[in-house]
Amino acid sequence: MKELSLNILDVAENSVKAGASLTQILLTEHDGVLTLEIVDDGCGMSEDIVRSVVDPFYTTRTTRKVGMGIPLLKLACEQTGGSLAIESVTQEANPVEHGTHVTATFNTNHIDFTPLGDVSASILTLIQGHPDTDFLFRHQTDGGTVELDTRELREVLEDVPLNSYDVMEWIGGNLQEQYEALSADAGMSGEE
Amino acid sequence: MTVDELLTHGFEAVSLPDGSREIDGVYIGDLLSWVMGRAQMDNAWITIMTNVNTIAVASLADTSCVILAEGVEMESDLVETAKQKEVNILRSSQPIYETAIKLAELLA
Repeated sequence: MKELSLNILDVAENSVKAGASLTQILLTEHDGVLTLEIVDDGCGMSEDIVRSVVDPFYTTRTTRKVGMGIPLLKLACEQTGGSLAIESVTQEANPVEHGTHVTATFNTNHIDFTPLGDVSASILTLIQGHPDTDFLFRHQTDGGTVELDTRELREVLEDVPLNSYDVMEWIGGNLQEQYEALSADAGMSGEE
Repeated sequence: MTVDELLTHGFEAVSLPDGSREIDGVYIGDLLSWVMGRAQMDNAWITIMTNVNTIAVASLADTSCVILAEGVEMESDLVETAKQKEVNILRSSQPIYETAIKLAELLA
């Protein structure tokens, strides 16, 4: 993908499809390494399926809907010298604590590093499309942290749907303000 | 022009499960997600990317063949995958631009 934010959107959509009630999108930038984690409490995948989701032929041929999300994310991190790991616990294996944890690391100074792009737009798209699912977004940089937790918003909003126009506009503005506060400090890109 | 016919013009076969496929137009690109949405059926696709996703994108877009430019090598297990998935792959020792010009002449 031209921007990692599109990979993030794609993989987080898989979490929602897996029935997650909470999907966490965590970005950590430090010392030239960007770590992306997508953690959900969905139905989880068996070991066999975890192995096969990195194979594009599994995803494109048998379950087209899953798409090339994971194979392309794997390529994007490996071409910077980083790596991708997937841990998953199925609901059958553990009825209480189940879900999937995708971790991708990138060397941001590598020349083939794909720009992060507009992550805020990806988060907004996720909330817009899935107003009844919760998302925790946290982007930690050396210059500070951007965070949005829809569970907190829900408490304040009570019955107002998260994808109503005013709420979406507020979330967009709030993320932008948080990012601007970062840029004013040590920069949001994680570069030296 | 068929994929087979390219072999007599300096292109080397890497995986050729269906050389009789007719080539209709050319697409060039290395960003796989981009190519996935833009390469047309029966295009010859020129790229330097040689991972398993290249084969998957060629299969999805149903290109007539992938042409690996700059003489890049594809690992033997991936060549096996390409054959299995019936994806034609050729190689050109020339850079992308020269490869494209050659195809333009041949397809004209």
